[in-house]
Amino acid sequence: MSQQLPVVETRREQASVNLVVGQSRRLPPGRRTSRLGKRLGMVGLYVFLTVMAIFALFPLYYVVQASFAGAQNLYTTDLHLFPAHFTLANYVTAFTQEPLLNWIGNTLLVCGLTALCGLICSTSGAYALARFRFAGRELTLRALLALQAFPGLLALTAYYLLLNTLHLLNNLLGLVLIYSAGAVVFSCWNTKTYLDGLPVELEQAALLDGATPFQAFWHIVLPLATPALAVAALFTFMTGWNEFALANLVLNANANGSNLTFILGLYSLQSDFRTPWGIFAAASVIVSIPLMLIFFFAQRYFRSGLAQGGLAN
Amino acid sequence: MPMLRVKRRTIVAFLLPMLAMMAVINLWPILYTLYLSTTNYSEFSSDNYRFIGLENYRQLLFSFDSDFFPVLWQTLLYVVVCVSCFLVVGMLTALALNNSRVKGLPFWRVVLLLPWAAPSGITALIWKFLFQYDFGPFNQIGRLFFGPQFGIPWLLNPTLAFISVVIVNVWLSYPFFTVVILGALQGIPGELREAARIDGAGPWQYFRHVTLPLVTPALVPATILSAITTFQMFNTVFLITQGGPVVSALKPGATEFVMIYMYNRILGATVANPHYGFIAAFAITLFIILAALTYLGSGLGARSPRASSIREARA
Repeated sequence: MSQQLPVVETRREQASVNLVVGQSRRLPPGRRTSRLGKRLGMVGLYVFLTVMAIFALFPLYYVVQASFAGAQNLYTTDLHLFPAHFTLANYVTAFTQEPLLNWIGNTLLVCGLTALCGLICSTSGAYALARFRFAGRELTLRALLALQAFPGLLALTAYYLLLNTLHLLNNLLGLVLIYSAGAVVFSCWNTKTYLDGLPVELEQAALLDGATPFQAFWHIVLPLATPALAVAALFTFMTGWNEFALANLVLNANANGSNLTFILGLYSLQSDFRTPWGIFAAASVIVSIPLMLIFFFAQRYFRSGLAQGGLAN
Repeated sequence: MPMLRVKRRTIVAFLLPMLAMMAVINLWPILYTLYLSTTNYSEFSSDNYRFIGLENYRQLLFSFDSDFFPVLWQTLLYVVVCVSCFLVVGMLTALALNNSRVKGLPFWRVVLLLPWAAPSGITALIWKFLFQYDFGPFNQIGRLFFGPQFGIPWLLNPTLAFISVVIVNVWLSYPFFTVVILGALQGIPGELREAARIDGAGPWQYFRHVTLPLVTPALVPATILSAITTFQMFNTVFLITQGGPVVSALKPGATEFVMIYMYNRILGATVANPHYGFIAAFAITLFIILAALTYLGSGLGARSPRASSIREARA
């Protein structure tokens, strides 16, 4: 790890340093023998990278190949790393006999509505917290931080009773309502932090020119905050699709299970008396590919620092 | 910070939608849970439950047959084991990916970060498949070498089940540490490496006295965040083991971590009379622990915005 530069360049560097300091031009002891060590080090490095790559890829590879394999390859105690009889039957079955499209549709609906609800409920509030001075502002900010540390799962019983009262049990909208709890807090922090960084002069000018605060908010702030809003929406959208516990609390499978989100659906496939592994694998692949693409798209924002939510202030 | 001067009712109008929503879906459930924790509310006593003060907390913390401390210890053990593995694997992979003499770096980078992109709920179910005793590929690989009788009861033995969920969590979470450490490594100026070499520092000395101190500021918040996330982990572990394997009916399962314990005591198939009041006391106690951890964490290191947004996306 220590030697990044080619040896030639090192010598030149060494020489120039020696000229300045006026010491002997001999290389440090051990430099010659470390040649072999260096080569072994590189071999070790590639071995390590290969092992890690196998660790990282194996589960994904295995499920992809299993999705193309017939039952004779899957229900056996011998190892099959390639489908001996390539077949698309699993995909066909996943679409025709399992309500896969319903699961995907339900999940998109729940996550999309959650993101929307989070934005609608939080944006004007975030604006108020960023721009207005009022009694209780500090308290509200602190309360937001505390709320964010509270995992929704802890209030399981309370959520159940709340949805029962609102007649939203076994309803996708009930799930949206629970997920919105996290989405509102996250979106509010994210947007507020972003607005803190925007200059206030534009709005001051607009107010001087006779605009109402609502007009300033609607016509000036919202267009400027669009990137932050998009990122908040994307993140809250992504939060919901792996969630199992609350979804399982709210949604009870109907006769053919078409009312579930896909994580519940895939779980119900596995809990069958005789797990249809091939169909499960095909369904996982179908669902995962778009999600991974969205993730890679969203990942750029982790770097750009546009998403400043959470506890960052 | 410059502020706008507006009428009071404008402020109220701007805040109202958010505060109203939060009062219903954030605040009320918490307060109601707090209230429940002081009652003997259970499925059977739902019509005539009453206020019993701190009795639930006394039972939870001081009763001999309380599962609280066993569950808490095994959760903390899980957190310590997982986070140490994240740190080691993340550091090694980041150092490897930061070595410019490795050929095909972009390729290795994408491959090693791939588990991060995979939806964690689905991959948990895939891992359950991999651990399966008869048809799972891990045991199939073992049979190649040790004959047809070979079989490791991955999810059936308590210790192995614990190790299994550690492996899965490491698979899911090390890329986050790789990214955080890699970012810090790339911020280290190249002159330091030169200077260290000229002073005769070996690779280990360079790592110990240059790399590690410079990476630590980025690592502290990431470690705390990840410890908190692992402490309240539910999805991945539940989807693989449901908290099991259960050895005795009186004891919690080997992978029954705090959240799973709570969930199983309310919605578990074998629970006839969920004691909501008691579980609410459990939840409130957990929240106090979590809040304390978060508070300690925010004091230990300034939380990096990147880390917290990633946590949101991963949660």
